[in-house]
Amino acid sequence: MTLYHVAQNIEASALGQTIRESTWLFPAIESTHLLALALLGGAILITSLSILGWGLKTPVAELYKSAHRYLNAAVIVLLITGVLLGVSEPVKLYGREAFWVKMISLGLALLVTYFVFNPLVRRGAAASGLRFVTVLTISAWLLVAMAGRWIGFS
Amino acid sequence: MLEGLVTKLADTPWSIALHESLYMYAITESTHVMSIMLFVGTIAMVDFRLLGISYNKVPVSQMLSKILPWTIAGFALLVITGSMLFLAIPIRTYHSIWFRLKCLMILIAAINIAVFTFKVERDKAAWDLGPVPRKSKICAVISLSAWACVIVFGRLIAYNWFDCDSITSPTMAELTGCPLDPG
Repeated sequence: MTLYHVAQNIEASALGQTIRESTWLFPAIESTHLLALALLGGAILITSLSILGWGLKTPVAELYKSAHRYLNAAVIVLLITGVLLGVSEPVKLYGREAFWVKMISLGLALLVTYFVFNPLVRRGAAASGLRFVTVLTISAWLLVAMAGRWIGFS
Repeated sequence: MLEGLVTKLADTPWSIALHESLYMYAITESTHVMSIMLFVGTIAMVDFRLLGISYNKVPVSQMLSKILPWTIAGFALLVITGSMLFLAIPIRTYHSIWFRLKCLMILIAAINIAVFTFKVERDKAAWDLGPVPRKSKICAVISLSAWACVIVFGRLIAYNWFDCDSITSPTMAELTGCPLDPG
């Protein structure tokens, strides 16, 4: 079974049909997705701006204690709503370049955030590479947001 | 009067160019979405501090002076890209109930900011690091709710459920400024 067939099967699923046939479900999920994206932006930026020297003077490890809760909440909501949006129109997504760009940048953003950025920030590391990692993390998430919006246009 | 202005706007070469250029429109809308991350994201973090539930070791005064400039930068980007999006589709957007509700929410948020700036934060030196007063929490809740509504209503402008050609009730015709089809 090819990936295209998988997409067809998901599209035919009860969940996919329910979301597709409802007037309000897709817009409601989409709006929640967008709200969580805003939260993610704030959670990443509050520590990032501080690392770059353009934000709060409080030690970043201290900021991280509050910020990582919002980051985790945002990522969980984004993943759940994102999957639901995907389930409702997988065949369309399969054929869209923007979708694949988004998935690859999303993988990159999650890896950089959770395996590099977060551990460094938690330790309050003043590592020379931290500014670079910060810029990379912000860029990755912006690409995810941009490619995500672009799915609707391509 | 507004109606006439919007109709004139739709006939400008700027409006037609934006409307017909797929890339420019897509780039504008994507930038609008990325600016939401900056604007609503940073204001939400400030509001969580004003609620007293997060960043409690950061003085309120520092939160306002170091983070709000970024919020304002995000707002400027949103106003620029938002105006361009309106310019691309002026007549339909002007009549959109969601657009009108979005403007109302922005107005409520603006009044809340004014009250916060000129009244609530005046004595912030007294609660810079201590427990936040009730008035600060109320402002934060209004801010979070209003901006969340702005995001949701903004997203819903794209849907055509209440476009002029599908409006049948006199109330909705009044609210959207659409002509009521006598047939």
